Amino acid sequence: MKIFSESHKTVFVVDHCPYMAESCRQHVEFDMLVKNRTQGIIPLAPISKSLWTCSVESSMEYCRIMYDIFPFKKLVNFIVSDSGAHVLNSWTQEDQNLQELMAALAAVGPPNPRADPECCSILHGLVAAVETLCKITEYQHEARTLLMENAERVGNRGRIICITNAKSDSHVRMLEDCVQETIHEHNKLAANSDHLMQIQKCELVLIHTYPVGEDSLVSDRSKKELSPVLTSEVHSVRAGRHLATKLNILVQQHFDLASTTITNIPMKEEQHANTSANYDVELLHHKDAHVDFLKSGDSSREGSFKETITLKWCTPRTNNIELHYCTGAYRISPVDVNSRPSSCLTNFLLNGRSVLLEQPRKSGSKVISHMLSSHGGEIFLHVLSSSRSILEDPPSISEGCGGRVTDYRITDFGEFMRENRLTPFLDPRYKIDGSLEIPLERAKDQLEKHTRYWPMIISQTTIFNMQAVVPLASVIVKESLTEEDVLNCQKTIYNLVDMERKNDPLPISTVGTRGKGPKRDEQYRIMWNELETLVRAHINNSEKHQRVLECLMACRSKPPEEEERKKRGRKREDKEDKSEKAVKDYEQEKFWQDSERLKGILERGKEELAEAEIIKDSPDSPEPPNKKPLVEMDETPPVEKSKGPVSLLTLWSNRINTANSRKHQEFAGRLNSVNNRAELYQHLKEENGMETTENGKASRQ
Amino acid sequence: MPTVVVMDVSLSMTRPVTVEGSEEYQRKHLAAHGLTMLFEHMATNYKLEFTALVVFSSLWELMVPFTRDYNTLQVVLVTDGCLGIGRGSLRHSLATHNQRSESNRFPLPFPFPSKLYIMCMANLEELQSTDSLDCLERLIDLNNGEGQIFTIDGPLCLKNVQSMFGKLIDLAYTPFHAVLKCGHLTADVQVFPRPEPFVVDEEIDPIPKVINTDLEIVGFIDIADISSPPVLSRHLVLPIALNKEGDEVGTGITDDNEDENSANQIAGKIPNFCVLLHGSLKVEGMVAIVQLGPEWHGMLYSQADSKKKSNLMMSLFEPGPEPLPWLGKMGQLGPISDAKENPYGEDDNKSPFPLQPKNKRSYAQNVTVWIKPSGLQTDVQKILRNARKLPEKTQTFYKELNRLRKAALAFGFLDLLKGVADMLERECTLLPDTAHPDAAFQLTHAAQQLKLASTGTSEYAGYDHNITPLQTDFSGSSTERM
Repeated sequence: MKIFSESHKTVFVVDHCPYMAESCRQHVEFDMLVKNRTQGIIPLAPISKSLWTCSVESSMEYCRIMYDIFPFKKLVNFIVSDSGAHVLNSWTQEDQNLQELMAALAAVGPPNPRADPECCSILHGLVAAVETLCKITEYQHEARTLLMENAERVGNRGRIICITNAKSDSHVRMLEDCVQETIHEHNKLAANSDHLMQIQKCELVLIHTYPVGEDSLVSDRSKKELSPVLTSEVHSVRAGRHLATKLNILVQQHFDLASTTITNIPMKEEQHANTSANYDVELLHHKDAHVDFLKSGDSSREGSFKETITLKWCTPRTNNIELHYCTGAYRISPVDVNSRPSSCLTNFLLNGRSVLLEQPRKSGSKVISHMLSSHGGEIFLHVLSSSRSILEDPPSISEGCGGRVTDYRITDFGEFMRENRLTPFLDPRYKIDGSLEIPLERAKDQLEKHTRYWPMIISQTTIFNMQAVVPLASVIVKESLTEEDVLNCQKTIYNLVDMERKNDPLPISTVGTRGKGPKRDEQYRIMWNELETLVRAHINNSEKHQRVLECLMACRSKPPEEEERKKRGRKREDKEDKSEKAVKDYEQEKFWQDSERLKGILERGKEELAEAEIIKDSPDSPEPPNKKPLVEMDETPPVEKSKGPVSLLTLWSNRINTANSRKHQEFAGRLNSVNNRAELYQHLKEENGMETTENGKASRQ
Repeated sequence: MPTVVVMDVSLSMTRPVTVEGSEEYQRKHLAAHGLTMLFEHMATNYKLEFTALVVFSSLWELMVPFTRDYNTLQVVLVTDGCLGIGRGSLRHSLATHNQRSESNRFPLPFPFPSKLYIMCMANLEELQSTDSLDCLERLIDLNNGEGQIFTIDGPLCLKNVQSMFGKLIDLAYTPFHAVLKCGHLTADVQVFPRPEPFVVDEEIDPIPKVINTDLEIVGFIDIADISSPPVLSRHLVLPIALNKEGDEVGTGITDDNEDENSANQIAGKIPNFCVLLHGSLKVEGMVAIVQLGPEWHGMLYSQADSKKKSNLMMSLFEPGPEPLPWLGKMGQLGPISDAKENPYGEDDNKSPFPLQPKNKRSYAQNVTVWIKPSGLQTDVQKILRNARKLPEKTQTFYKELNRLRKAALAFGFLDLLKGVADMLERECTLLPDTAHPDAAFQLTHAAQQLKLASTGTSEYAGYDHNITPLQTDFSGSSTERM
């Protein structure tokens, strides 16, 4: 594919000399009397278009089809020639639409039959056409700028379609010579200019048109190379609809179009609204939409132009939105845009319905090969893959990696996706430093923020299973927080503190753990740790994020403090709270001994221990999904913030739990000691104390 | 791309190869050895490749058929480069290539996109001593240059055959490994089939583009909004478990192989982002937009088989800043949180897509085309129909009248304006006695204005000028009177 082929630039040169005001001698009845009107009225005499009118409406139709199918990068420059050249528009994209051209043509008006034919000539227009072909289009400019030192790769080719009334074959030759000479001259000029480009290739299409019934003075000639730069072809065409047909064929040739006829379109009858008949509508589009037909070796269809491929309308049954495997989508243009069947079809599609199209087959199964669908007021012919695919019968995702895990947070991730949907930002935005902000980069940034802490499975998380955390979790990921956001986060934290005081149950997963799972206060500790991990992942976003963390730390640090006070009497615990790793190891042993000693005394304690030992063993199996809660529970001292008197049993049970948790921690450390992460953890611990350590660990998961 | 292996089993393939060892090999043994290596590679690293085997000498036989048909193929031809003699031989076929008729077409180029790899059980010198190499090169040329010839380096032996097939494997059968990323969530994946390099514009950008091995999700879009977009190709995105050296442990696809089975079972139980993503995409009916390279994007979605199976699929859009007109420029897509208000609505009841183009297409803007007489007649009839229902239809009457006027002026069709003016004057005389008095006024006014426009003088024939209804004493109260 080449962007800058001959069809990038098309120059229309239409003759506006006095003889073009002549009638085409093809009559149009415009006064059609309706049956039940008063009898005896003689209809008004039919009128006929001038050669000019025929030329203009045919070229407008050419442009209509072209703009429908290629609204961008295929440009038209319209020039009218009489005593001088009138260039009606420029190559800029804003000038590329029918309305602009129609308005400009109206301003020119029909040729003046009384003008002096001697000073009028099509040559003015042809010279201007060559001149305009040398002018750079915005697309060429953009490509050249982009390619920098490879700018010479950007081609400059074009086509001149000249509609005139020539006097003879030698007149035609004179016109061709003129174009060739002008190209030669202008290429010299362009060689020394920065904003002009040399013409590499120019296709001259000369259309001689004459009134119906007259003999042509000019003979047809197929494409001929006049020079390495210029090729020329001559078409001698009667005016009226013959000219329109010619230009319709040319637009198909020039832009590689093909025709598809949609057949069997059910449509209500105009007269009898309750009956419906089937109609056909012919559409034009790029020929690649037929690539499957060409490929299948049906070569008889190639070459001939008036061929159309028929596809059958399949009445849509549901409005189900499906993602079809589509190998191409091509804009269409109806051949007969204003006919009732055409506008019925286009309106149906513009209203948002899609229609599948079926290949008509005498036998065998139904083959849906295309789909018509509109997107934002543009209709596209989608090519659906009807050949079988190598991706048929692939393994199911459930058979692959991670396929056996059953507790993915599908709904949560769905919510995440909806929050991370994209929307167009058409107006440029600027960053604080004044540079252009690329919205897509913002989207990536947001994904980065939103995934800083995002456990994939339900059993890996507590906070995301808690409705109470939602107000905090949904705003903390934001780039910046409002005062209200901070307040909401704080409320959420207070609320959690409240829950903890009331000893509300938490949705801690017990999947994979044997036994009852961690105790209530243990659960809260896990929850707080996780929440801290989440908040900590965002503290660098803003100062307000920092405040949320401060609030969190303040709220959750209270219990250990209280505890400390309580424990002050108990020396061991006091030491434990200041724990450094070495001390801990030592203590662990001590605790172990303690528990051993107590085993015989406290039946309950023994059970707990047994249970804990099993848990301790479980990480031996390769990476259980619940690894995280287990690892986490090892770190903080038990939050013994029980209100009211505590039984000796509870105290000892907690103690044993603590001891066992220690063991787990060590175990986890051993697991992690393969890489440097374990060291990082230690480092953090030394710097920031216990709480950070936990966090560092959790965020690693 | 599915592969057809075409194996030469002609007599010359049984020529012995002198190997400095005990056993005596024939060329076909070497070929079989090379193919075994290829098939083993596919079985471990390229599992989803479909393969067929054809053997030929003077006739051919399909040994292992495909069960499907495909768009594209890779053909691996294994031969010793002895091209035979006489009619039907390759030499003869190439010599008479130009004399073939349409019904008796030479099989190359294949009628589908394809790559032809020729594995020669001979070394270069041997082939060059005859014109074999030239003939084989012609074959590649005939296949539009798609393919390559491989010859054995050095003496014919198992080792050198292996290295030749190794080159083929590197060229055509290396699995494409990538990392799928969504912020901090990542997964190692194999993309199957391998994405092929793509040339956007052979003239201004002739270097083929290849996709990144980091597939970065940039955001999400509803299936209804992405709306069956055209794609270059589709690929399965299979999560893989990599060991520390980066070698693939397995795709997790269950296999009969014992060792792999246990590894796969472990891999199956480790949460994988692909599975999470797939599940949510499926449930929500969305696609993930993924960046494949600079100005190149694709989409990830759940592709359901007809049965219960479904999988994570990636489709590649055409490279460029704006692959889908209805989404606009990809670079301009940003997070909804940056918008003043949620463009999807608070109740998720609207969408910012599709983007509306600046200019409407002809079929959406009521253009005037009079190429067929019926087009003109319909437009005149519309005016007439409304003229008869004046003054109720005053607005539509003038709207249609102005549309016709504009088109007639643009086409320089002034006779039509005169004709329609005459017709309106006639209508005026035909008005029944019961007609509203305003009707006559409006018809006369309209006819007059058309006549003025038909003079073509700039004063009255301005394109942007519109004929407005005549202000009469009746205009305001007309509806009340009815």
